[in-house]
Amino acid sequence: MLKSNLDMGNEAYTERAVASASIAELNDVSKLFGTVQAVSDMNLRIAQGEFLSFLGPSGCGKTTALRMLAGFETPTTGKVLIDGRDVSTLEPYKRPVNMVFQSYALFPHLTVGRNIAYGLKQRRPKIDSKSIDDKVTHALETVRLSGFENRRIWEMSGGQQQRVALARAIVNEPKLLLLDEPLAALDRKLRKEMQIELQDLQRDLGITFVLVTHDQEEALSLSDRICVMRAGRIVQTGTPQDLYDQPNSRYVADFVGTSNFFDGLVNQINGSTGSISLRGGRIYKSHLSGAISVGNDACLSVRPEQIRLHLSGTPETLEGKVLNRIFLGEHTEYLISQESLGNITVLAPRQSDEGLSNLGTGDTVYMDWSADAALILPKD
Amino acid sequence: MTQRLRNWLLVAPAAAWLIVMLVLPLSVVFVFSFGERAPSGGYVPAFTFEQYANLPARFTAFKNTLILAPLGTIMALLIAYPLAYQLAVRTSQRWKTLLLVLVIVPFWTSILIRSYAWIFLLGGGGIPALLASLGIEDVRLIYTPFAVLVGIVYGYLPLMVFPIYVSLERLDKRLLEASADLGAHPATTFLTVTLPMSISGIATGCMLVFILLMGEFLIPALLGGGKVFFVGNALVDLFLQSRNWAFGSAVAMMLIIIMLVTVTLYMRLISRLNVQRDDAQLM
Ligand SMILES: Nc1ncnc2c1ncn2[C@@H]1O[C@H](COP(=O)(O)OP(=O)(O)OP(=O)(O)O)[C@@H](O)[C@H]1O
Ligand SMILES: [Mg+2]
Repeated sequence: MLKSNLDMGNEAYTERAVASASIAELNDVSKLFGTVQAVSDMNLRIAQGEFLSFLGPSGCGKTTALRMLAGFETPTTGKVLIDGRDVSTLEPYKRPVNMVFQSYALFPHLTVGRNIAYGLKQRRPKIDSKSIDDKVTHALETVRLSGFENRRIWEMSGGQQQRVALARAIVNEPKLLLLDEPLAALDRKLRKEMQIELQDLQRDLGITFVLVTHDQEEALSLSDRICVMRAGRIVQTGTPQDLYDQPNSRYVADFVGTSNFFDGLVNQINGSTGSISLRGGRIYKSHLSGAISVGNDACLSVRPEQIRLHLSGTPETLEGKVLNRIFLGEHTEYLISQESLGNITVLAPRQSDEGLSNLGTGDTVYMDWSADAALILPKD
Repeated sequence: MTQRLRNWLLVAPAAAWLIVMLVLPLSVVFVFSFGERAPSGGYVPAFTFEQYANLPARFTAFKNTLILAPLGTIMALLIAYPLAYQLAVRTSQRWKTLLLVLVIVPFWTSILIRSYAWIFLLGGGGIPALLASLGIEDVRLIYTPFAVLVGIVYGYLPLMVFPIYVSLERLDKRLLEASADLGAHPATTFLTVTLPMSISGIATGCMLVFILLMGEFLIPALLGGGKVFFVGNALVDLFLQSRNWAFGSAVAMMLIIIMLVTVTLYMRLISRLNVQRDDAQLM
């Protein structure tokens, strides 16, 4: 399910984004609720036709950012542009934007069909009822709810309601579709199906999607670009691959995928590489990412799948004891305790060494990784 | 204990209350309405339709009630709805409680005292005097149907505000956002989302106010000054002053019949409205 542009580098993507017109922009946008700073100094350009995700933990301001695009909140400072026009204070009903609400917000006094037709009926000039019916039928097909037109909302399950909410938005073919955790209530299988459906829809209709999620897997598999947010701020924006390979902070590395972090002190910088001395005295050379200078507290980030296990040690390897071992089919996950670095998670592929497959709790192992596989990141 | 027995025990207090407070007095009134007035006032048993034949004598009271009660209900609705809307939808949580209390505050004083205040306001020294100082002379407000209308709308407004407030308060505000998001003008949102979803509050409020207005006597007595009187005033007169219990009972029976008919028609209309709404939605 990887998209072709996943392997586009950051520069290639930026070029594309600049080349194609941006459909929406947030310029220095902040939003205060009383004393709560929900969004701070947010800057973002959303390119025409892209699939962008806001990723971040609960309460980090994702919904607020989306609501400012939809027009339900006015930025305290800064500007919101849609299609090049300043819409910071434009009423929601005048914006060419549709939203799938986190809470669905379906009309309980209307049937499923009427809910979906609602937006079409607001169009001026009017659309004739035959084409409204056709569009509604088609939208229901898309979300796999054919024949549910006359159902009442309360007769639908949570997941079905969520799909009705989705159909109610996409049927309008807006320029910008905002989705606030639209798949959160679905079971795994249906969720996967709907994710693929969303992706197809986005390609077919050419609509720009902005998706809010706190599910990193969903963000990684669907998005052209991801905005990682933290406490109202964008920490990093990039393609899924960028974020995975080049996180600019420990926070991003931790949020996008999993990683081992070893605290240390930066003692040398040489262009884009540097060295860090870890607790226990070992020094590792590695690539730098994010804002770091010599003498800073930093951390070395190593993804679990990048760590190699050996049965015998050399001076370069780290010695550890297996604490736990979880068989995951293709991979085996080890939790290894290391004297000075603490617990380390290692994800070893199945086909590795004969002896390794017999490793059990309490056994001694040796670990290393290639310099390219690790990153020195600012400690936040 | 069987389910049946338990159900009976649960229903028993309500049933007893209903029998003692409603069925018994009603039976008494029903029986009295076929009787005759004793020479010194009161009731002598008889079986005659004379009292019912005599009803046209109180035509004005029925006419006033049947005009002013529906009119008062509608006026109260028109004033209460925007108020309830403002309170439930537009007011921030912080002010809501305070403003709601202000709606109830009038209930802390008796309607009698508040109506006296209106006597002063509508009487010669009040609003007419103010208008006179502006050059509008000879405006007569007190003891007119208008004064009674003002009084009943004023008195029953809170009873209309509350059910509507509750239905609007319960309305999920995100539905209004969803409607706006789908491109609906605020007026459309009001007509297609807010109004249909508050219809139960409107129905309850109107029913409550209308039924109470049909039996009203205090406000017409004070602000109508004996010129604009309701059936309620006729009843007070017949039972307490002229002590013609038999005729009073006939008038009361007539009022009950009218109420039964109108309320039944009203219920039919409301459920028909709901059914129509449902039908319209079946595409
Ligand atoms: N109307 C409001 N009034 C006051 N504070 C608010 C309001 N809306 C949001 N907030 C606060 O702003 C912050 C960001 O909220 P937001 O809803 O954008 O989070 P989120 O990232 O969408 O979280 P979740 O993943 O849980 O939906 C939170 O601290 C929240 O409490
Ligand atoms: Mg949210």
